[in-house]
Amino acid sequence: MSEVIERAYVVTLTIPDNEAFTALTTLARIGLPVETAVRSDVWIATVEAEHAAALDRTITTIETVYNPNKHRLEVREDAHPRSGEVWITAHDESPAITIAGRTVDGVRGIVRRTSWRLLDQNGADVPANVLDRATESFLCNPAFQKALK
Amino acid sequence: MLRVAVVLFPGTNSEDETQRALVAAGLHAEIVHWSRGSAAMRAFDAYVLPGGFAYEDRVRAGAVAAHDEVMDAVIEGAQAGKFVIGICNGAQILLEAGLVPGTGPLRRPTAAFAPNASGKFQSVHVHVRLAVSPTRIPVLAGLAADAVLPAWASHGEGRLAAPDAELDAMEHNGHVAFVYCNARGERVAAPSGSARGVAGLTNVAGNVLAIMPHPERDAWTFMHRDGDAEKAAARGNAQAMLAPSGGMKFFHAFAAGLAARRVLR
Repeated sequence: MSEVIERAYVVTLTIPDNEAFTALTTLARIGLPVETAVRSDVWIATVEAEHAAALDRTITTIETVYNPNKHRLEVREDAHPRSGEVWITAHDESPAITIAGRTVDGVRGIVRRTSWRLLDQNGADVPANVLDRATESFLCNPAFQKALK
Repeated sequence: MLRVAVVLFPGTNSEDETQRALVAAGLHAEIVHWSRGSAAMRAFDAYVLPGGFAYEDRVRAGAVAAHDEVMDAVIEGAQAGKFVIGICNGAQILLEAGLVPGTGPLRRPTAAFAPNASGKFQSVHVHVRLAVSPTRIPVLAGLAADAVLPAWASHGEGRLAAPDAELDAMEHNGHVAFVYCNARGERVAAPSGSARGVAGLTNVAGNVLAIMPHPERDAWTFMHRDGDAEKAAARGNAQAMLAPSGGMKFFHAFAAGLAARRVLR
């Protein structure tokens, strides 16, 4: 029986992110002291360990997930938000077995979440209470979503 | 004459047909851009938030628009008893703004029109039935009890989602204004997988309505789906094709509700 591990692929735009800018505008309207909002797509794969390296390579070839001309890709060997991040996902999140329509050997399931980091004027993460307020008042609708920190 | 604002956000796309239906129902309806701000918006007597993709559905359908400055006027108006209707994306905005079901704090939604169970955008012809007494919902006071209306469900996020206790409370307290049904008014499953087959919700006072399917897209016979018997019979007859159809009942009921409220005041 193959060991099954989790891999997180955190994909962030390197070109201007209009959605993040719109979110920033709304956060300012709410009255939160945020200077920069960083949004990332987080693809979390449950994969058989011997296929993880192949999956790492495959991800970089799927341009609808990662395009080197406009994205930065961080591969993580765990699927937990880092300090300063909040991940938004649906309560009824259900894993797909394909990514962008492609099946990949050894992949048992893939989910997609949205990560937010909020930075202050010095480029540091905002205090936790500011991130909490942003999450509760805007970034997450608890009726169908949950926030992971 | 009472003035109805058809509130346009960047990304709204159903303002013209919504305005046409309102005007055909005898109302004075203006398309009002969000950029005119809440001061201009306050001058109106009622608000209709049409469908589309306000702010490109960024962050979440309706979430950004719900916090827009212009919504301050809509929220204040709703709290003062003005009539507010949200159709499709407009409905999503009203839930995100906390105006519907309106049992929690403003802009802290207790329910959502979440992504369809299919995970896909769907456009299908549907019927919806009034699920409360017309007296419960002054915003559509002119509608007959158990009225069945044709409409087009056209959305990627139309599945009502909320905790079970919240859904129970909404049903118990008469917030479920419309449910999906067939042409005979018999309940059917929602194409979106919406909880409890809900197509529309109202607030405590019944002056705010959020409805996902578009009645303005079946307001005249030519808007019926292809293959519809009435539409087929009207083929070649411009007058019959342009005759008001079931969706117009919705807008006539809104006009009647507004007229009744004016008399009361």
